[in-house]
Amino acid sequence: MKQERNSETPLRGLITLFIVLGVGGIVSALLFNSSTLRGQSNRQDPPVGSTGVFTSAHPTIGLSVRHFFGMRSEPVQPIAYDHRAHIETAMMECLDCHTGALTGPRATIPDVRWCMSCHKTKATDKPAVQQVAAYFNRGEDIPWQRVYGWNDEAHVRFNHVAHLAASVQCATCHGDVGSMTVARRVVDHSMGFCISCHKEKKASIDCLTCHF
Amino acid sequence: MPHHWGMAVDLDRCTGCEACVVACHAENNIATVGDSEAARGRAMHWIRVERYWEGEFPEVKVKFRPVFCQQCDNAPCEPVCPTYASAHSEEGLNAQIYNRCIGTRYCANACTYNVRFFNFYPPAWEKPLHLQLNPDVSVREGGVMEKCTFCVQRINAAEVAAGMQKRTLMDGEIQPACVQSCTANALVFGDLNDPESAVSKLAESPRGTKLLEELGTKPKVTYLLKESWHESRGA
Amino acid sequence: MDRRDFLKITAASGASATLASCGNPEHSMVRFIPEEELSGGVAVWKPSICPLCPAGCGMLVRVMDGEAEVIRNGKKGTIQMGLAKKLEGNPNHPISQGKLCVRGQAAIQVTYHPDRIIHPLKRSGARGTGPFQEITWDEAMSMLVSQLNGLAASGNQKAAVFLTKPMRDQRQTLISEFSSRFGASVPVTFDPLGDHVLRRANARSFGYDQLPTFDIGRSRYVLSFGADFLGTWNSPVTQSIGYGDMRQGKLQDQPAKRGKFVQFEARMSQTGANADEWIPVNPGTEGVLALGLAHVIMKAGLRKPEAVGAAGSQIAGWPGLADYAPEEVEKRTGVKAERVKRIAKEFANNGPAIAIIGGSPLAHTNGMFGALAVNALNALIGNAGAGNGESPMGFMRQPKPNADQNRHFESFIADAAQNNERVKVLLLHEANPVYGSPPAWRVRETLSKIPFIASFGSFIDETSILADLILPDHSFLESWVDHIAESGDSGPVIGLAPPAMHALHQTRAMPDVLLDASRKLAKPLGPPMPWKSYEEMLKASVEAVDPSKDAWKSAQQLGGVMPPANVSLPAPQTTRGGSPLSYSEPQFDGDAGQFPFHFLPFQSQAFLDGSLAHLPWLQELPDVLTTAMWSSWVELNPQTAARLGIAAGDTIEVSSNHGNLQSPAVISPGIAPNIIAMPMGQGHETFTRFASGRGANPISILAPMTEPETGSLAWAATRVRVAKVQSPSKSKLILFAGSLREHPEDIGR
Repeated sequence: MKQERNSETPLRGLITLFIVLGVGGIVSALLFNSSTLRGQSNRQDPPVGSTGVFTSAHPTIGLSVRHFFGMRSEPVQPIAYDHRAHIETAMMECLDCHTGALTGPRATIPDVRWCMSCHKTKATDKPAVQQVAAYFNRGEDIPWQRVYGWNDEAHVRFNHVAHLAASVQCATCHGDVGSMTVARRVVDHSMGFCISCHKEKKASIDCLTCHF
Repeated sequence: MPHHWGMAVDLDRCTGCEACVVACHAENNIATVGDSEAARGRAMHWIRVERYWEGEFPEVKVKFRPVFCQQCDNAPCEPVCPTYASAHSEEGLNAQIYNRCIGTRYCANACTYNVRFFNFYPPAWEKPLHLQLNPDVSVREGGVMEKCTFCVQRINAAEVAAGMQKRTLMDGEIQPACVQSCTANALVFGDLNDPESAVSKLAESPRGTKLLEELGTKPKVTYLLKESWHESRGA
Repeated sequence: MDRRDFLKITAASGASATLASCGNPEHSMVRFIPEEELSGGVAVWKPSICPLCPAGCGMLVRVMDGEAEVIRNGKKGTIQMGLAKKLEGNPNHPISQGKLCVRGQAAIQVTYHPDRIIHPLKRSGARGTGPFQEITWDEAMSMLVSQLNGLAASGNQKAAVFLTKPMRDQRQTLISEFSSRFGASVPVTFDPLGDHVLRRANARSFGYDQLPTFDIGRSRYVLSFGADFLGTWNSPVTQSIGYGDMRQGKLQDQPAKRGKFVQFEARMSQTGANADEWIPVNPGTEGVLALGLAHVIMKAGLRKPEAVGAAGSQIAGWPGLADYAPEEVEKRTGVKAERVKRIAKEFANNGPAIAIIGGSPLAHTNGMFGALAVNALNALIGNAGAGNGESPMGFMRQPKPNADQNRHFESFIADAAQNNERVKVLLLHEANPVYGSPPAWRVRETLSKIPFIASFGSFIDETSILADLILPDHSFLESWVDHIAESGDSGPVIGLAPPAMHALHQTRAMPDVLLDASRKLAKPLGPPMPWKSYEEMLKASVEAVDPSKDAWKSAQQLGGVMPPANVSLPAPQTTRGGSPLSYSEPQFDGDAGQFPFHFLPFQSQAFLDGSLAHLPWLQELPDVLTTAMWSSWVELNPQTAARLGIAAGDTIEVSSNHGNLQSPAVISPGIAPNIIAMPMGQGHETFTRFASGRGANPISILAPMTEPETGSLAWAATRVRVAKVQSPSKSKLILFAGSLREHPEDIGR
């Protein structure tokens, strides 16, 4: 699919320039305007430890640069969850597990109790399923990593249920996960991607529809 | 016709209880800045209750006035923003788009009502206070301007819910946190494009005024003036 | 600023933990299996009850799932759990009617407070100095039980005593039952700012030993004698809702005739700021004024003297009231005779009308007279307090009469100070008398001599720092909660709710700890407690007032039994009595020459008596009259300030016979020249990172004056002098800077 470019492209360049200048300005203000900046005097101790790292959010400069440009590494899952086996072989639906999409903003990943509701008896010989059972037996949930999602700084408030109600298919935004084993990030959730679809469907492209 | 959100504030009801002030903090993830920043005038209260003394002891009176973003239709904050972070929404709100904001603070300087607040520092919630944060509202980072949104998260949620149920919004269905909390029912929120809405009717009240409207800002908040008591007649 | 500070600040933004990191499986912490069914991202509203003041507002808690750090089986990890996000009033609840006050809105920060005590603690240093050591619940329980066993073995059970804040729930019953079955002393309630004088006066005038309920919404004329009824007194949410209706009618209705509100007080409160007429009165003469109004009403023939009923028999000189002619009243109260006459007539002619007394008028040595006088004025104009729905003032029915069988702290501490062998085990539940008592009571010294103190509190404060053992309670959002309302509605209201969320920390509910301890005692209680858990006890209490099959279930869903209409409840006890009172001059501690000012401490809008100073939202709340935040202040009249050479913001020293304090000055037109006023709440030595070492505590200079009939602290009976401090040791007045840059002339007619 050819992506429709936003008509505001030249402006965007300008904005980026502004942003870079602005960020530089803020950083230099923070670094050099020494006497004016103090934390809350009444704190007994800082809330989070902070030595030896670039910032608490970014241990290294490299990571912060990647963050700034929206470059994200692929998630590494604790168990190689096989989407295809569940969807193509076991004939399950996305919404059987990601039930939150039916009711609210977040699609949600179910906890291990949900997995075990089938896997107490099903496919118990498979190593991955045994890993799931091991978590369950230890009283632990599986630390699945999210595949999609925006940085906090994007300030996007996405609502799954509204998109389902508008008959947007899961695959439109997430690709054909049913044919993948471990889910990979195959669709770029850039603002242009969202806007083009909103325009096509005559949904609102007001800033406040998504950013608040 | 799109909605056109507005508010009415009945100064004859307002008691100065300030429930709205904390309700707003709780709903909108507004950070406390602490004493030393507060001493520098940097406390962030999207809504405040102003107090005016009149007369001298012993013939002294007080008037309270809750002030928050007036969501001007001709907003001074909007044209001054070099990044279009201060923008007018389809439904008439003065939106602050945080990810566009680069912190010039021009908007706060331009605002007639002094209702824009700048995050001089990244906001802090000492653990586990952060567990209270409302996931429906962005947490603004340092260097970003923020302000009253009329609780746009509640507006959007109600619109989505109504849309899914294929019905129109009812008057009074949406209550921003301050309106919900207002003990004396001084605050009323609603659609100014709906002539039958409570807020539209209050906006027509003979007691109605708008704050500094002579400056041409076209504010969407109507203040109903406090009345005085006369034994012979009613309200 | 150096780089380290920069990092601290950056690090402080814990909330901006980034999604960017979610690509890496770097969660070193274990993720536990959730312990509840959660609907991701969707809010569920659960009922609860606000615990911050005795009004007992029903609330709804917005609960959403989130990830919290917890400890399970001794292991630290994260868990997906339902977390309270926002508190709002419960529309089903007749007291709150869907609203909460400013403090109720902030109550959620109690649960998430960074300085909450999160596991049991044992004292590990010298008493009162602070060091505590983490222990397990098993150790904690055996410490508690062995102390109680020790008393039982020596037959000295009376040496155990509970010290609590005033409670209006089944916890109170549980503590009383435990105490009596164990053989402990009668539990002690710490409530020095409570309304004992008014309750006693109401028993004398009307036969109801409780606080009145006012239907302000239906009133067309409200006279208030010092009562901060829109801010801190009685049932402020109900009363504020009524106030709005009194002014402009119910929202949906046609506006009724606008009601008038007159406030008499020497220092303008938040409530007084809303008055049509705010009238300063000499302290301690409010009763004279009330009888002056009654005098005019009777003399003008606007009401017959007999209308007063039994309430008149409490006033010496009724019905003639010869001593209370308007000219006499003017001499004593400072209110012009003409004004007394006018207001009396307006009051009588613009019904329904009510007179309210609360706050400092009751805190004088002659407070009883003031209360009886206002009661008589109410009775005269037709508010006999029958609670029959006809008059806008009444008394709320309760399932049983006020169980104020507890001992008052005032008498307890006097006895304990004289005979310090008596108490061996003190069980402390959410009372902070070390902070909240006048210095002459010597509370810290006396409590420090008690061999063993266990506290159930959630925070280290000035009193619980003396504890040897801390058994931290759940927060109210994590607990079964209940409340029997004393005032606020015509019918009875029993609030009740299950926990809104699971416990965040290694805490246990105080009632369940007590029940557990009772089962572990070497010598069983006689007879044993009939309930296995607090939940069971609450179920029994609901079934007692509503035997219908669904009562228990629906109470949990609605947030209480409201009202149990089909159940007949016993009427409150009638305890009239006392000989008629006439006016006596209020007594003040301190010579008028040496200490020229009356000192008026008042409960602050944010912190009440100081028990809420630990909540950051309330610290950062600008006081509505002064805009002060994060600080304490002293209010004085502009003339007084000019005479003493004091400018706004100057640090001044306030001295009484019993101590002195320093605080910045606020110059206010709403205070009489002979009054120095100061908000309570700040000046904590030890009360979390947000309140410790901030401002000054007005209670610390109060004289131990009492109202003789009840023995209650007369907290408005201290005289002080003030002086500017040339070189202040600590002074910080922080005012909220936000206001309009230009001011429109008129905001009201």
